[in-house]
Amino acid sequence: MNWRIIRYLTGHELRMLVRDRRSMMLSVVLPLVLIPLMFYVMKFINEGQRQRVVDTVFRYAVTGSEAGSVRALIAEARKVRPAGGGSGTGEVKLEEVDLGDPAASLQRQEIHFYIEALSGAQADALERERKAEAEKKLRAGRKPAATGDGAQGEKPAIPVPVRLAGVPLVQIYYHGDRNLSQVGADHMRDLLWRGVLGRKNALLEEHGFPYDPASAISVEDRNLASPAQTTGALIGKLLTPLLVMLIFTGGSIAAIDSVAGEKERGSLETLLTTAVKRTDVAAAKQLAILAMALTITVVQVSEIVVLVTFKVFPLPEGMGIDVTPVTAATMLSLFIPLAAFLSAVLLLVSARAKSYKEANLYFLPALVACLAPAFVALLQGVRLRSAAALVPVANVSVAVRDVMVGKFDWPLLAVVFLTMAAVAAWTARVSARQLSDERLVMAGGLDAADLSGGAALFPKRVLRWYLLLWVVFFVGVVNVPQLSSFRAQLVFVQLGVFLGGSLLMMRRYRLDVREAWALRLPKASVWPATLLMIPAAHVVATGVFRLASLVFPVPTQLLEQFSGELVPQGVPFWQMLVFIAVLPGVCEELAFRGTLLYGLRRRFHPALVAVVAGVIFGLFHVDYFRIAQTSFLGVVLAGIALLTGSIFPGMLLHIGNNALAHLMDVKGWEFDQGDWRVYAAGTAVFALCLLAIYRNRTPYPGLRARQRPVKP
Amino acid sequence: MSWPVEVKEFAKTFYDEARGEVHAVKGVDFECRAGEVFGLLGANGAGKTTTLRMLSTVLRPTGGSARVCGHDVVEEGEAVRRSLGFYSASTALYPRLTARETVEFFARINQYPSERVHERVEYLIDRLGIRPYADARVDKLSSGMKQKVSIARTVAHDPPLLIFDEPTVGLDVLNALELQEVIREFRAQGKTVIFSTHIMSEAEKLCDRIAILHDGRIHASGTLEELRAYSGAHYLEDIFVHYVTAAQDGEGGE
Repeated sequence: MNWRIIRYLTGHELRMLVRDRRSMMLSVVLPLVLIPLMFYVMKFINEGQRQRVVDTVFRYAVTGSEAGSVRALIAEARKVRPAGGGSGTGEVKLEEVDLGDPAASLQRQEIHFYIEALSGAQADALERERKAEAEKKLRAGRKPAATGDGAQGEKPAIPVPVRLAGVPLVQIYYHGDRNLSQVGADHMRDLLWRGVLGRKNALLEEHGFPYDPASAISVEDRNLASPAQTTGALIGKLLTPLLVMLIFTGGSIAAIDSVAGEKERGSLETLLTTAVKRTDVAAAKQLAILAMALTITVVQVSEIVVLVTFKVFPLPEGMGIDVTPVTAATMLSLFIPLAAFLSAVLLLVSARAKSYKEANLYFLPALVACLAPAFVALLQGVRLRSAAALVPVANVSVAVRDVMVGKFDWPLLAVVFLTMAAVAAWTARVSARQLSDERLVMAGGLDAADLSGGAALFPKRVLRWYLLLWVVFFVGVVNVPQLSSFRAQLVFVQLGVFLGGSLLMMRRYRLDVREAWALRLPKASVWPATLLMIPAAHVVATGVFRLASLVFPVPTQLLEQFSGELVPQGVPFWQMLVFIAVLPGVCEELAFRGTLLYGLRRRFHPALVAVVAGVIFGLFHVDYFRIAQTSFLGVVLAGIALLTGSIFPGMLLHIGNNALAHLMDVKGWEFDQGDWRVYAAGTAVFALCLLAIYRNRTPYPGLRARQRPVKP
Repeated sequence: MSWPVEVKEFAKTFYDEARGEVHAVKGVDFECRAGEVFGLLGANGAGKTTTLRMLSTVLRPTGGSARVCGHDVVEEGEAVRRSLGFYSASTALYPRLTARETVEFFARINQYPSERVHERVEYLIDRLGIRPYADARVDKLSSGMKQKVSIARTVAHDPPLLIFDEPTVGLDVLNALELQEVIREFRAQGKTVIFSTHIMSEAEKLCDRIAILHDGRIHASGTLEELRAYSGAHYLEDIFVHYVTAAQDGEGGE
């Protein structure tokens, strides 16, 4: 490396960035103005809100057969001052109004809330009515709405005892979407409970109990953590995600401008024809991105510190920050490789894109991918002394959380630093290699495929289609309640998304069905190897799941819940086999080892095609703990399709694997998951089967061969 | 005899997502002398740009070899790039630098002796008539002005070989003529110039020797007189059509 040139080029990159007024305005000046402005606006809104509550006369009505006793209760409660300031909301102005139809008045916003007081008999009748309605809904297959006292609003500050039969019921009706209605109802709820407590104490006194039973035992808690430790525990969990976000957004402007922008302007090719080595170009660009990202991060963090120090935005009561030099130095040593890694990722993303627009398109998924592991510190079970120490970004997140509360596990901190530094160096190397990629200068905006369309265009569009399918799948499965039942979800996902999506692609790009779905018969000797692979693949996939759960532990409760949802009660075994094994085995194979693999076959080297297709398959399994396992199976199935040139062996393996899992579940069969010998045997059989398939291979047609430059 | 540029069996095959394997250059041979303008004449898609990009080490050849000023294009990329200046319609300038900063930047990164950079920059600014707008940012300049700055940055490190890849694309007649004049001047200074174009009149006026490139192969090469003699046609346009038609007939007959 020529450091003199790298220094000169870095300076040049930074000079170019600083001269781009629009980017500087957006990335530096605007946040500097917006952050204090945002704090002021929040402060202004909060103060205004508080004042509004103080100034408002909360108008309410009381109805029902027990209205008189409620009025009396309110009057009694208003005489008693809340202990310790009540629920913290203070006293408000209340005014009862006499209305014919309080519900209509509440709707017309003439009052803030109203109270309905029912006698014991009326309350009992209401409860019976609600129970009957809930049972009716349950029978109809819908979840019953929460019922019972206090269930229609927010939970009261004081725990609500179960209502006994014959006890009168007081209901407060308000509009949760109107702030003042909610605040008024909250105040009234506190007031009524204060009244109820007062009456209870009076009754006890009347019956000879000398003091408030609540005073029988005094409970006090003492927090042994210092305010700095309490604050550290909170900030430590959030610091890494915040920094990842700041570095990523700050560096993205530099990254997009310095590679994708240069490509779009044409100046990158000019630079590549000069005597500078590409590794030096990559190093300079990465340093510029890092410098820019760190500058923006430091500026923004400093501004927040200044705002907190000068009480523009004061820390809440009981919180304090005390960062010792050792803490600061340790965190810095963890954040520097993290920042280097993020800038390398940004360079990589920018180098992949042909234009500003495309780089912006990649930016969000890359941010999410880097941000997700940064939130690992929020998971309670994750400790630094686990495999998490080896997972980039997640390890820094957990380490910073520990360091912020004064826990310095030096050997593990060293492991985190070395892992992060190694990953940063590797990513930097990959991004440097990306800059040497000839596609940087060869890729044009339009090519023959764009013009001719049809099957030639499909490889260029296939990933977009699967992104679209994933969005439809995710929105449908997670957000549409009608699809929450087992059968509805299966039909929607398998027939609608996977099969329907594949057929749509076939039609849109006029694909040959036999070619695209690889409907060819493999060599006969492949079949026994595939059959033998079914139990072996099951064992190996379980091993992969267990390895993955070392990094991200899965609560047993979650697994049981998943199992319960996956296998509904009362469905005959053969039906379950069709639903769980045959349908996914056919539809998923056609979608992932059929259309997706066909689209990707020329895009990457065959090994990478199997990995990409496998990971995409894994991402279509929403539960995060299943992604590693299903991705592994996806890679295996894609590999088999590429080796045999046929979709059928994979289909058999997929159906067999799902059927075996269900059969084991129904029969209660289990293998010893803690015995390494089972995994060793499973892996050996699995490898032998794969070898047998490899030896009898009929490669998938049209794959990309490795390009070997011929040296003169 | 050692030539400044020697190209033997140069080939480039690459993969395209949609088209699969594409043979852009299928074995090209040529040499260039010092002080001559060597023309690569071919239609769009003939392989001119790919050949010149391989020669300037931007692309890696998949077959054959080439040497520039004695340096191998695969093994000694840095030395090759230091020996050449590459100009094409697709190589743009940095819009946020001034004309003077642009020339200085390219002189420095091409490792022109640092103590002589200032002198070289001022010389080029005067020689190419850039002085009136030397301190204006490139994005404020007209296309004619940008063209002059581009030429200045191409020769900023005073290389012995200059590659002009379709340099007149998008230029008006006056600017194109001015560029041709500058190229003649470089030839007079003893530099080797490789000039690719699909405009026959340009090649006819400017090139000492011409190679006709079609479908990734050179089908004829020589001075204009030699090409006339071989083909029996007078105008370069007819000569070009003669060789391309012959090549297509040959392919059809195979």
